[in-house]
Amino acid sequence: MVEATDQRQDFGDWLERQLRLRRMTQSALAEALEVTPAAVSAWTTGRAEPREDRKRAIAAALGVEEEAVLRRAAQVLPPSALNWHHRPAHRDGGREFGNAAAFAFDADLAVLAREATQNSLDEQFDPKRPVRVRYTLEELSGEHLRAFLDALQWDEIRPHFEASATDRHKVGRVIAEGLREMTESDSLLLLRVDDYNCTGLTGPDYGDDSKFAAVLRDQLNSHKGRSTAGGSYGLGKITLWATSRLGLVLVNSTLSGAHEGRTSRRLYGRLELPWHSKGGEDFAGLAGFGETDTEPGREGTARSWWADETTTRSLRLEREGRDPGTSFLIVGAHDAAGDAQTLQEMHEKLVRALADNFWAAMTSGRDSRPVLEASVTTLRNGNVVIPEQRVDPAVHQPARTRALSAYLNGEAVEQRTDTTQVAVAYVPLRVPPEKGAPRKESAEHNAVLLVTAADDNDREPNRLVCMRGNRMTVMTRRVTDLPLGTDAFQAVLLAGRATGSDAPEAHAAEQFLRTSEPPEHNDWTKTEDLVTSYVRGARQRIEDFRKDMLVAVRVLVGRRERVKTGGPAVLRELLRIDAHTTGARRPDRYPVVRHVEGSVDARGAWNVRVEVKLPRRTDPWSMTPTARFEVRSGSRPAISWAKLIAGENCRVEQGVLHFEAGATSASFEGVTEVSSHPVTGRMARVVVDLQKGR
Amino acid sequence: MNTVFPYPVLTGDITLEVTAVKLDGRPLPLSMISRDHKVVALHEVERSRWDEARLDLRVVLPEKELADGPWDDVACLAALTEASTNARATARLRRSDAGWWSGSLVFHRDAHLTRASLTVAVAATVDGESGRLVGMAEESWIVELDERIPARKQELNIHETDFRNGSETWLQTFQDAPWVVETTGDMPTVHLNTGFEGLVDFLNGGGAPVERAVRGMLAAQIAAEAWTAMFNAAVGDLECDDEGRPQWPTGWRDGVLRSMLPDVLPDLSISDALMEVHLRLTEGGWQELQPRIQYAAARRAKTPKNIANGLRAMSRDVETER
Amino acid sequence: MSTTSRDLPEQIALLPDVVASRYLTHSVLAGRERPPQLALIRGSEPMGTPAARWTVEPLRQLIDVAMRRHDGDRATADAWLAPRLHATLRITRREAADTRIWNFLAMVVAPDYVLWRHKGVTKEGDRATTDRFVGLHYKQTFARLWWAAELFRDGDDYEPARLACENQDVLNTMLRLAVIDHRPTARAVVRLLEKGLVRTGRDVNALGTAINTAAGTLVYDVLAPDEAPDADSRRYWIDEAENAGPVSLDNLPFGPDDGCVPGDSVDELVRRFAQLFAEAPVRGKEEGRIGTGRSNEGVSLDKTYSPF
Repeated sequence: MVEATDQRQDFGDWLERQLRLRRMTQSALAEALEVTPAAVSAWTTGRAEPREDRKRAIAAALGVEEEAVLRRAAQVLPPSALNWHHRPAHRDGGREFGNAAAFAFDADLAVLAREATQNSLDEQFDPKRPVRVRYTLEELSGEHLRAFLDALQWDEIRPHFEASATDRHKVGRVIAEGLREMTESDSLLLLRVDDYNCTGLTGPDYGDDSKFAAVLRDQLNSHKGRSTAGGSYGLGKITLWATSRLGLVLVNSTLSGAHEGRTSRRLYGRLELPWHSKGGEDFAGLAGFGETDTEPGREGTARSWWADETTTRSLRLEREGRDPGTSFLIVGAHDAAGDAQTLQEMHEKLVRALADNFWAAMTSGRDSRPVLEASVTTLRNGNVVIPEQRVDPAVHQPARTRALSAYLNGEAVEQRTDTTQVAVAYVPLRVPPEKGAPRKESAEHNAVLLVTAADDNDREPNRLVCMRGNRMTVMTRRVTDLPLGTDAFQAVLLAGRATGSDAPEAHAAEQFLRTSEPPEHNDWTKTEDLVTSYVRGARQRIEDFRKDMLVAVRVLVGRRERVKTGGPAVLRELLRIDAHTTGARRPDRYPVVRHVEGSVDARGAWNVRVEVKLPRRTDPWSMTPTARFEVRSGSRPAISWAKLIAGENCRVEQGVLHFEAGATSASFEGVTEVSSHPVTGRMARVVVDLQKGR
Repeated sequence: MNTVFPYPVLTGDITLEVTAVKLDGRPLPLSMISRDHKVVALHEVERSRWDEARLDLRVVLPEKELADGPWDDVACLAALTEASTNARATARLRRSDAGWWSGSLVFHRDAHLTRASLTVAVAATVDGESGRLVGMAEESWIVELDERIPARKQELNIHETDFRNGSETWLQTFQDAPWVVETTGDMPTVHLNTGFEGLVDFLNGGGAPVERAVRGMLAAQIAAEAWTAMFNAAVGDLECDDEGRPQWPTGWRDGVLRSMLPDVLPDLSISDALMEVHLRLTEGGWQELQPRIQYAAARRAKTPKNIANGLRAMSRDVETER
Repeated sequence: MSTTSRDLPEQIALLPDVVASRYLTHSVLAGRERPPQLALIRGSEPMGTPAARWTVEPLRQLIDVAMRRHDGDRATADAWLAPRLHATLRITRREAADTRIWNFLAMVVAPDYVLWRHKGVTKEGDRATTDRFVGLHYKQTFARLWWAAELFRDGDDYEPARLACENQDVLNTMLRLAVIDHRPTARAVVRLLEKGLVRTGRDVNALGTAINTAAGTLVYDVLAPDEAPDADSRRYWIDEAENAGPVSLDNLPFGPDDGCVPGDSVDELVRRFAQLFAEAPVRGKEEGRIGTGRSNEGVSLDKTYSPF
């Protein structure tokens, strides 16, 4: 990684910042160095850069090491330089009871995993390497908890939590519950979301062109990094805060491009509380944790800081190696959906959500690497509870994963002959030209359709998953109107860049489909954007595409010819010889054997115990019990009874069972007559029935 | 369950799946295999001649139960049988590391006629006795040699033909009959006479409510005759064992008797009922049984419902004409 | 009553059950009237391309010789005719499962043989039963012989089949049991006959019941593995019908060389069956009947034909 990309710019920024931090004017520095104030001004604005010897003098004047001047890096701050900064309430008295956008999402762990990971994918840095995301759940208690809270300057923010914890509004109730539980259980749950091989939060603390600002400063800012992105750091980032009961998220980012001459350990904390009043003062609710800003006009706010390793560790934000990316630490994490309560359940829910949403990005061909690798770890006070679990898409989405890897390996076939095979077909998408674009012809893109047999335990078979871009799922459609006897399947449609093609048509299709998506990116439909951006007929193209893909699925799964009718339907219906297996079953009007158990005794006789079910009737029943040996084919040889012993609700008279009137069940025991066995008893299985007494 | 083995047997599910089929080494499209219906259809338009078929099988056994139970030398055997050709082809399956059993079963077209049954048995040594049957597949598969659709055959044959000029010369003697029910062979057939003007078109047609209602009555009449004929044939064809006891039949006769006996003799268990109708046929009392047989056939043919609907539709038609 | 070859069609045709049954009148069954040959031929479907194996003449000759040589003890004709019928009428099992072939032989080619062999005293008088003309594979006059030869032969060796057919109870009892579809089982049964361990009709029935019953707990295929017959060799043998002359009347012909039954497997089953037979308690009883002795006891339900 190159530390400083634009030195000229960087030196000026650095110098200005150093002066501001020391509350030192440009003329004071000019004086100390015995240069004109104009020269200093030229340095700070970047119009000129001092010679090496001059830089050494500047270092002496500022009281920093020469090395710091030469590398022009920002200073690493000690914890003592950090503060919480709370935004005062609006002058107009407007009150916000919680970040409005936070309510747009259920604070569900599955949603968090989907949104946060999608953001990471959108920020992939080196396209040749996978993005790695790692989710770590950690429960802190006792000493560990206190050390963490100290590092966080908990005592400073606690009064604000207490002031916000009120049952007057929903957010207040959530905070109250979070605080109560923390106190009662003396524990706090942290959920850390790390990504690696991602851009990281680059750019200045403020401004339109900064990823840092996009995530941590503005609300609802969708800072778009690349054209394939479904909205980078868009609404999705809100789920981070929504997952915290305390509205508190800490960040550590390793930058892919230097800011202030540095790349590692850029830290910041952001707290989202509702409007509250404390000590006669009104607060808007938003607070930042970091270095006190001294920039004119921004005094009293917090800016990100470059942390030392100790502080980073104490805030539980240390990252692995120098691979760029960001770590979000959600303090007081919970699953608002409520179906994951224990650590184990939360762990499993994260694994499942990652597999279900990103099985495609995690699937690769034999000779390639996937776009994404994901894992989940669970700790308690730094000790492993559930070791790092790599999310394996083949375990959770076996059929779809099989379909995609067969495609990536070039093993998909036109017609399946084996249940493990994957069939491929192409669905054309004719992309109309954009309004005013030089291209006047439609571009023809072939989307890839894959079909394979569903897994036996698949609870939602016969679905078509549609993806584009970096293989993100846009929608899952149910395929209906299938011919009778179609075996359960799963289908995957890859469109645009998801096909792996880099052709202009693929890019055109990608763009076109993105335009057809509503803000939630969960459908391909006739959006307003489509009409404004493309020439007439665009809506019809989407419509056709939607229809064609279903037709293609039916062709791939269906039988190749229609059934010859086999006579008039009206007659066929009445001539079903399996009729007895369907329809209403008349209850038995006669006694039946419900259960038999037994064994062969030392003499070779079968001893059986038999339970009988009797239909209700006022008259008594008389039935003859029969024992037979089962055979491979033909009739079963009958066996005589040596002994019949009445059990419940019956008596035996001359080989006939007389059941008591009104009884609904009865039992008896029998011993077979060995001399009637056509084969030795232990070589046969015995069948007991009841027959009408004759 | 009214059967007991003299040694412990498996209680867990044993499932069998045909994963692929090859005819003379060429793979059959997967659409010819139905996992839902458990049927393989081997007839293909493009390939009417083939000699050897190979079924790739996968069987899942209750492994945990097997491991914990008193069974040693466990063997898993697939068998393809067809009663009409006395054919029996078997294959020993091997256990894979993945936990299931797999293998291929090869059979020849020359050894089969129409429909073979495929199942799996598990054998093991129990209490020192080797080769004991300890489990069988829950449901067997059907391999249809002449079908193009892998579905269970559920209704009898309906054959539309011109009795006068058709290939079955024996139908010529029935040339003025609208239909004939044939109950010999593998599956009963209702021959519909296309030479009987209007009949087949009417049965296959759509039309107004009245037309549909009349069609229902006609279909019910044909069906009732067919059921009666099938019942008589099934009872008449009963094979007796050496002691004169009728044996329970197989195939369509089994289905017909199971469907109708509970309506013919509702107070008897189905086996007692079979004995009873056999005795009535051979030792007297058959005539007295006729109304019961007609009743059972009419129920199968949904005659009461169809006649009621027909009469209702016609009376409504008369009313609207007024 | 004899049929001369002049009256006969040259080739075997396929006679549907429904047509054949129509002419099985009482007088035909009693032998007072010949089946109407022309009507039956008209009701039959031709076989397609003519082939030597469908030629009627060699079959008719065998039948005539059988009647001539075995008139003294007609049941002995079975053991003589079965292998020769099988070697002359070279067909696949698929073809043999089509009842129309057997209907044609019984109704058109040799109704006289059916009566000669099977006419006997019945409730309805002195006559043959219909199932000897149109019936199941173990009942119909020619089908039972062909299938006996098919199921009991050992590769190209018809000797076990001949032995099996010498015992009427093997034909009547064993042939209907599904257990003998397993070749080592069929071979082992005949081996017990060869060894003299099983002699009388009652022995054969007891053995059959014992094997059929023990098959409910033993998987013979696992105890005694078979090797699949060589389908190509059989196909070759069938095609060779074009070049084959008439079979020898005095020496056993050779069957399709589709592979012998594995000897080890047969030995294992011989041992097992001998033991089952020796242990069967009912065998000691002098009463011939199995079971309680009450007839018309009712029927047993469920799975009358099961592969295991």
